[in-house]
Amino acid sequence: MLRKLKFILILTIIFSMFTLSRYFIVAGPALYPGNYGEEVKSLQQRLKNWEYYDGTADGFYDLDTFLAVRRFQECYGLYPSGIADSDTLAAIGLRKYVKAGTAYAQGTQISNEQLLARAINGEARGEPYEGQVAVGAVILNRTRDPKFPNTIAGVIYQPGAFTAVSDGQINVPIDPNSTVVKAARDALNGWDPTNGCLYYWNPATATSKWIWSRKIITKIGKHNFGI
Amino acid sequence: MGFREKLLDFKRRLSDRKMYSIVIVVIGAVAIWGLSQYRQAISLQQKLDNMYNRAFYDMLGYVNNVETLLVKSLITSTQERTAATLQEAWRQANLAQENLGQIPVPQHILANTSKFLSQVGDFSYALNNQTMYGKQLSDEQYKTIEQLHGFALSLQESLADLQNKLATERIKWGDLAAKGKGVFNKASSEMPEEQFTDIDKTFQEYPTLIYDGPFSDHLTTIEPMGLTGDMLNSEQAKQSVVDFFGADKIRQINFRGPNENGAIKTFSYQVLFKDRPDEEDAVIDITQKGGHVYWALRHRPVPQEILKMEEAKEAGKRFLEEHGFGSMVDTYYIKEDNMATINYAYKQGDVTVYPDLVKVKVALDDGEVLGIECKGYLYSHREREIPEVKFSPEEARKLITPRMEVLSTGLAIIPTDYKTEIFCHEFKGKLNDREFLVYINAENGHEEKILIILDTPNGILTM
Repeated sequence: MLRKLKFILILTIIFSMFTLSRYFIVAGPALYPGNYGEEVKSLQQRLKNWEYYDGTADGFYDLDTFLAVRRFQECYGLYPSGIADSDTLAAIGLRKYVKAGTAYAQGTQISNEQLLARAINGEARGEPYEGQVAVGAVILNRTRDPKFPNTIAGVIYQPGAFTAVSDGQINVPIDPNSTVVKAARDALNGWDPTNGCLYYWNPATATSKWIWSRKIITKIGKHNFGI
Repeated sequence: MGFREKLLDFKRRLSDRKMYSIVIVVIGAVAIWGLSQYRQAISLQQKLDNMYNRAFYDMLGYVNNVETLLVKSLITSTQERTAATLQEAWRQANLAQENLGQIPVPQHILANTSKFLSQVGDFSYALNNQTMYGKQLSDEQYKTIEQLHGFALSLQESLADLQNKLATERIKWGDLAAKGKGVFNKASSEMPEEQFTDIDKTFQEYPTLIYDGPFSDHLTTIEPMGLTGDMLNSEQAKQSVVDFFGADKIRQINFRGPNENGAIKTFSYQVLFKDRPDEEDAVIDITQKGGHVYWALRHRPVPQEILKMEEAKEAGKRFLEEHGFGSMVDTYYIKEDNMATINYAYKQGDVTVYPDLVKVKVALDDGEVLGIECKGYLYSHREREIPEVKFSPEEARKLITPRMEVLSTGLAIIPTDYKTEIFCHEFKGKLNDREFLVYINAENGHEEKILIILDTPNGILTM
């Protein structure tokens, strides 16, 4: 009997881990049920103003608040978790509760600098500083080349162009003081260690045969840079 | 208990009635969960396919429009109509190119198609500008339009063919996007890619286009004018590295190899510094001709900001003077991470020459120069023949909106997007608490450029 129970328990846990995983993975600062304070109060006030919430704004994240947040998320196309995560807070207009200076993937206003820094982070995290600037420079060189899209976002999100975009590593939050941000700034300010390269690849892991037909201009860290 | 017995034991337990129902419930739950996951995946795939289709059909439409507009521009007889038609062709070609970048086909397969669309747009825009200033299109330009129209026509045909195959589901976007990710879709993925390869082949005979636009082909073969001196070998060029950073600071210089790309060929070096860890190195490129510093970048954290901006500008200017850049004036700057990146432009007489640009990165703790970027200077610097001013500052002032309050005036040479230069009056002015720079051509009075000055705590920039 005990074994049976164990078996069922394990199955249930595995099953619930899949479905509940989204509730546990919350990027960045958030307000949870059970929280208490001024921040919850303003959250309730806003939801009340828009008629998602009809209790009093008492500053306690109770079941009614949870359900109100869920309704709001459903209406705004966010995942209805009932937890006021950073995206939800941003959508409600309470962005200031997000720690200042930290970049989040789904934030509403991410400047070119942030986008470039996240691409560099995904593509060249372990590379020497110069290699990071070089990856940023390649992205910028592409925007100036007629064979590529003309904007930074267009180049980065071109289907299949960067593995870090395909596998979602570009969404990894970055520390505003990390070197990738400085590398992005140097690239945007015009430093180009590749002298105009349009491609780069890691000779150890590159799967495309085509990429080897490119002329290698320089090697920085683990990457070959070419045109 | 052996494995066999365990299995038998398990079977016995399964046949227990209670267990039976529990297992059925569990299997049912897993099946429902699996089904919902599967349906979610299908609907996501469908959403993606829809987006790819949207991009493709949009592109098809825009290419059709480009084709028609190019034909129309050949027969319009008034300049206003020609300008309007070309302007619309520019817009439609841009949109087509933008949508092309969203189709899940590897970039290199459609590289020439993308280049064609960029250049058609760019070329139309250049001609539109020309027409607006009242200059007729030349016979040669008409011939180029005809040629481009031919390419647009064949592109349109091959896209229509592809659209047929898409509509009958002989090609699926999913196969293209998932390329190389699964064992099963590898074989089928070859086919659609080839379709696109064929389209791109259309452009093998594509002509070299030279016009006044940023994507014009002449930009790839431009000759650097500021590159003076004899050819050096990597040992001789090393002296420039020592001069740049100072012999007293350098611990070690490693030659990293030549860089032969582009018109300015360089030798690249890595520099390690005394009393500094290896990570805080610098990389510097020295031109093979003349041993000029092409760019340098030192990676050193700057813990605090002590210097004022004026002191930093002075430090940068002094450094430039010591390293052979005379007569440079600072223009714009940006402060980041306790470092200031300052733009310096060459000044010839009373004319600020913006194309001769050097960017200097100054550490705001001790004024040390941590980086330099001389691409602009090396490509364009020379002593220029300054043309005669045909429009006096007073005449030029009348061409600017009277609502702008003029704060200062000067003469400047400004670069265009296509590496030519324009001799202008530079008016700094104010309108509604915003500062602007307005450039009026000193030879023909055209309003060439307007810049907004952004004065932020982190720097003065233009937009």
